[in-house]
Amino acid sequence: MNALLRRLLLVEWSGILAAIILGSALLAWLSPAFLTEFNIYVMLRSFCVALLIGFAQMVTLAVGQMNISVGALGGLVAVLAGGMMEKMGVPLAVAIPVAIAIGAFCGLLNGILTERTGINGFIITLATASAFTGINLGITQSIPFYDMPPALVAFGSDRFFAFPYLLIAPIIVTILLGIFLSRTIPGRQLLAVGGNPHAAELSGISRGRITVLAHTLSGALAATAAILAVAQLGSAQPTIGSDWLLLSFAAPIIGGAALTGGHVSVLGTTLAVILIALIENGMVLAKVDPYWVQFVLGALILAAVWLNRWRAVTTGTD
Amino acid sequence: MTDETIIKERSRPGFIAGASAQIGLLAIVAVLWLVFSTLAPGFTSPINLFGIGRSLAVDIVIGFSQMVVLATGGMNLAVGSIGVCAVMATGFLLQDAGMPVPIALAGGLLLGAALGWLNGFAIVKTGVNAFIITLASASLFLGAMLILTKAVPYNALPPEIGQFGRMRIGGYVSPLLFIAIAIGVALFILYRHTLLGRQILAAGANPRAAEMSGVPVGRVIIISHTLSGLLAATAGMMLVARLGAAMPSVGGEDWLLPSFLGPVLGGTLLAGGSVAVIGTMIGAALVTTIRSGLLVLQVGNFWLQLFLGLILLAAVMADRYRGIFLERRSMGRK
Repeated sequence: MNALLRRLLLVEWSGILAAIILGSALLAWLSPAFLTEFNIYVMLRSFCVALLIGFAQMVTLAVGQMNISVGALGGLVAVLAGGMMEKMGVPLAVAIPVAIAIGAFCGLLNGILTERTGINGFIITLATASAFTGINLGITQSIPFYDMPPALVAFGSDRFFAFPYLLIAPIIVTILLGIFLSRTIPGRQLLAVGGNPHAAELSGISRGRITVLAHTLSGALAATAAILAVAQLGSAQPTIGSDWLLLSFAAPIIGGAALTGGHVSVLGTTLAVILIALIENGMVLAKVDPYWVQFVLGALILAAVWLNRWRAVTTGTD
Repeated sequence: MTDETIIKERSRPGFIAGASAQIGLLAIVAVLWLVFSTLAPGFTSPINLFGIGRSLAVDIVIGFSQMVVLATGGMNLAVGSIGVCAVMATGFLLQDAGMPVPIALAGGLLLGAALGWLNGFAIVKTGVNAFIITLASASLFLGAMLILTKAVPYNALPPEIGQFGRMRIGGYVSPLLFIAIAIGVALFILYRHTLLGRQILAAGANPRAAEMSGVPVGRVIIISHTLSGLLAATAGMMLVARLGAAMPSVGGEDWLLPSFLGPVLGGTLLAGGSVAVIGTMIGAALVTTIRSGLLVLQVGNFWLQLFLGLILLAAVMADRYRGIFLERRSMGRK
């Protein structure tokens, strides 16, 4: 029994999975509205953007960096994409790749600044976050772009039974990211640099290039999240991204990522986002104050950090 | 190897190095004042100077509340949350509990210190990065405050609070500015002349070496976070005086950027082990000047964020290259 517990503890996402199963069972038992088709659709839909936000932070955590500007970058991309489509009449098929490229470029900027100056990524991305938000607000004067292409809005709201079409994007991204991190050379190098920068450099990996790569990827993922958010809301709001910061760290860290780098889990992050979506949904069903979401998310991060620490000590992997 | 040398070199900037950075910063502030007062005559009007002084006082104290944790090599993302919790606690004590003003203020400050202590305690006990603990606690504190107050502001505070906020000494100086300067003097003495201050800096520069030479590193970190909470609460009290009301929207994430801008512009290192009390005050002056100047020029608040971000970037990069330059020069001397 003890051996079994130990083996379960070694699988880092076992706790989250248990929490998800327990939570779903509890909600299904307490609220008849929980298992309805519409509620499952709502939950899956809220899961889409959140997952990509979590991934955008996860790839920077993988190299031991952080990206405070995920939300600001997402907001900027959202209004730029919205502006392109509404004011300049750019077709959807062009606007989306361009928007993702802008996001990747902003990330590249973060990466180059961090790498070239050798300054802590926290302070660099704090500064660029403010700059991105400034450009966003300067362009829009806080007024959203409402006139989005119908195809995009339909993609954001249509569904096949309980399956929102929006979910297709995060599924593709999850598979690609999983393959990238586990099967490709740059992906392995990313984790190697995060795990031990010195050893990675000695084995011929360019630490600077990998850091820049992680930030660029983070920018592209945040931009993808921003486009999904625009599709979901049906308009390009300048406030998109303003509440992403906490969530972006919560998902990978609850999923077992180490802030020191080198250790991230695509599956863990995905499960963490499912758990967060479940909790938010449960609170809506229970009609509690929306302020509780913030409180619980904070408590959840602390609990996850404590649990990870306890697990490391118990299993002796510390 | 080279990285280590740089860190060593940078964690003990010489007196001249620190002073030259601050003089440079002061020069930038002076130039900006010249520019703004030429472009907009309203900039130096008594009413605007009074306004600048009042927001400068708050910016300085917010900067201090971040600086005291940066000294230990940590950071406190919860400054805004702690500040707003203290604000609402004071509002509650004054309006709902009917407490006299001194007790209500003390209650708010005490709550701030207690929340800061909680942060420090959690960081030391779990050994987890200060970043993640304070990110989580920021959300926890803010959430709890919103749940308890239902985000309803306290508007019916005793009138003497608002009167204090509007008070002018000599026509255009706010008494709040004197409070901020007094706190600066106290912090300067703490870090320069007391054992505790030296211990904090030692723990920040090299925790292991400090531990081995008998510095209680854990206790020092907890004290620093408590102080940070207390200072954040003080900034909150100043805002209560300025607004004459306790608003749930005054803190939160809005404090994050200014709290880092002041100390980092002033030359406090993120790596820990150094503080720049005067630098933080000048850094805050730069932020306040730009904010007020853009407002008077009617550029609008929208572009302000961009300017602040670019200035922070420019400042950290200038600091970085100055460090490299100084290091090269000192190596040449050898």
